[in-house]
Amino acid sequence: MPLLELQNLKKYFATQKAVDDISLSIEPGSIFGLLGPNGAGKTTLIRMITGIFYPDEGQIIFDGKKFDPVNDIGRIGYMPEERGLYKKMKIGEQTLYLAQLKGLTRSDATKKIKEWFIRFEMESWWNKKVEDLSKGMQQKLQFVTTVLHEPKLIILDEPFSGLDPVNSNLIKEEIYKLAQSGTTVIFSTHRMEQVEEICSQIVLVNKGQKILDGTVKEVKQNFKENLFSVGVDQLPGSLNGNSPFEVVGNKEQAFVVRIKAGSKPNDVLQYLLQQGSDIHSFNEILPSLNDIFIKLVEGTPTARQFQQVNN
Amino acid sequence: MNKILLIIKREYLTKVRKKTFIISTLLFPLLYLGLIFGIGYLGEKSKKNLTVAVVDSSGYFDAGRIARANSKDSSSVLVLTSMKVDSLKSNLGATTFDAFVVIPAISDWKTGLKNISLQADKTLGMETAMPVQSKLNNIWGEIKNEKLGISDSTINQLESSQVSIKPVNINDENADSKIAGTIGYVAGFLIYFILLIYGSQVMMGVMEEKTNRIAEVIVSSVKPFQLMLGKILGIGLVALTQFFLWIAFIFIVYNVTKASGAGDSVSGMVGGVQKVFSSINVPLVLFCFVFYFLGGFFFYSSLYAAIGSAVNEDMREAQSLSFPVTMLVIFSIALMSMAMNDPTGPIAVWGSIIPFSSPIVMMARIPYGVPGTVPWWQLGLSMALLIAGFVFTTWFAGKIYRTGILMYGKKPTWKELIKWAFRKN
Repeated sequence: MPLLELQNLKKYFATQKAVDDISLSIEPGSIFGLLGPNGAGKTTLIRMITGIFYPDEGQIIFDGKKFDPVNDIGRIGYMPEERGLYKKMKIGEQTLYLAQLKGLTRSDATKKIKEWFIRFEMESWWNKKVEDLSKGMQQKLQFVTTVLHEPKLIILDEPFSGLDPVNSNLIKEEIYKLAQSGTTVIFSTHRMEQVEEICSQIVLVNKGQKILDGTVKEVKQNFKENLFSVGVDQLPGSLNGNSPFEVVGNKEQAFVVRIKAGSKPNDVLQYLLQQGSDIHSFNEILPSLNDIFIKLVEGTPTARQFQQVNN
Repeated sequence: MNKILLIIKREYLTKVRKKTFIISTLLFPLLYLGLIFGIGYLGEKSKKNLTVAVVDSSGYFDAGRIARANSKDSSSVLVLTSMKVDSLKSNLGATTFDAFVVIPAISDWKTGLKNISLQADKTLGMETAMPVQSKLNNIWGEIKNEKLGISDSTINQLESSQVSIKPVNINDENADSKIAGTIGYVAGFLIYFILLIYGSQVMMGVMEEKTNRIAEVIVSSVKPFQLMLGKILGIGLVALTQFFLWIAFIFIVYNVTKASGAGDSVSGMVGGVQKVFSSINVPLVLFCFVFYFLGGFFFYSSLYAAIGSAVNEDMREAQSLSFPVTMLVIFSIALMSMAMNDPTGPIAVWGSIIPFSSPIVMMARIPYGVPGTVPWWQLGLSMALLIAGFVFTTWFAGKIYRTGILMYGKKPTWKELIKWAFRKN
């Protein structure tokens, strides 16, 4: 049973169809990538999942039941892209306050904060103010406040922006750990290399609509262009008409070839062996998510146009 | 509900622990006392006692009369001199005189003495000149009485038979309109200050949450309306705390002064306070003050919260958007001064019933007496309308707040804000 299921979700604003009929489902314990260019409707979608907006149409099923914002938001942790903390408030007090707003008791919250602060080496921060922290430190603190109440669903919008590689890794490790222990993570970003690394499943939204849905592997398979990298010292001098591939480029002592329709990789190898070529590597080139993203989004205007919405 | 309490608690504790709260709580009464006593003191200080030479050409101002006048009132001293005007003018600095007056030769005493100059080698203020004038007037009055043949006993009879009036409301014989007026004025102004100061604190607080980008973090835990209400209630409690601290301060000062006993001024003050207690219904006034203070605060601060949610970090945007709201508060003070002149007139009655001005105007009328000046039905209607008013503004503001707090970019106009408020869900 999926932890979260969106059914034909719609949210129209005066001049934008921000979310226009999106359905998706997310399995428990998965790390789910929500991708899309700026203004695609990701934030609006997330705000509906976190109960900040009500959908105009459609349904949200959370943990098997219809989503009830008042009671369910305690089981969701949300780190928005536009995030911040009270600058003048002491860090310990502030974390306690945010945890209590999520429904933890004071003593429970104190215990958990102490644990997290030790894990992230933040023990000495308790009586400091947020304004004393660097941006990266604030980010770490923000992450702690998001996951402290052990939510079933964590939504992270650009969680690594402003973090150095060491702290990025620290948080990445925590995200893996949370997912392993059964927490579901929705991860929204523009940084495709992180998505490839972390996410098991992705959805690409553009102009309020879902244009891609699947596991990272599936998506890559679907968008592959039958390209292979062949490491040979020298390609056969002349490729006759019945060669099973064509050369589309070469880089670093390897040739990029596209297999012709109807042929298999083995045909390429066979052909090269027959020609007496000395093969030292042969790999399939799968498109990066970045390429897929650009391919799908390219051609649509980079900025969403204001449109008339009749409702 | 529990979450609102958390928000109120945070808001209250952060504000109360701030140095500005502690300082303003202590400083306001000190400044207030300083202002009252300081002005009096400076007034006394700037008044100078003069020694004034009198050059008499009329023949009426003789040494005997001047000596008698000096003995009655020591504020400034008149000295009859035989020096000539020219030599006084050129040598004033060398003489013991600060100034001089010339009484011209007059043909007939009935024509009177107008436009006498008090001449000095520096500019004298009216404060300083008045005692000299009144002293000369006393002497001149004596001369006239003598000429008219009016004896001292006749004068006493004339003076003791003056008419004096005092407004008395037949519905409330105890009421003293002078005391009531003062209390009303102070209460009205106090509410005015609280509305403006704490209203803008609510606005700044909301702006802070929005520009700090913590608003979205919090509204993923609580409803935006709860966040707004928690802020308003928290700051309202801070204002109430400050008010009660001031009341306690007055109470302590009063008791200490009373205990310190002796002295005319002390017993006069104690007597004054007792007179206040006997002439107005203190518990009712206090209750109404707290009611109108809270009602007015909710009414206006929710509007200020809505504005704070709609603008970005730019203070000027906030000011231009909050201008109409601030104008309502200032307009109420103008209505109040009109109402003070005629506490039962139509301006006073309507001003104290319509919610936007009622906190200030009604508060200025109540000390005149309930039900003497303010009938019970007016008080009831005013209170009911104020409750309805702030319920409406809070609802209205909540709708704007919900949209505004997550909206970045261009400053909306009031027209757009109203559109936000009346949009479905």
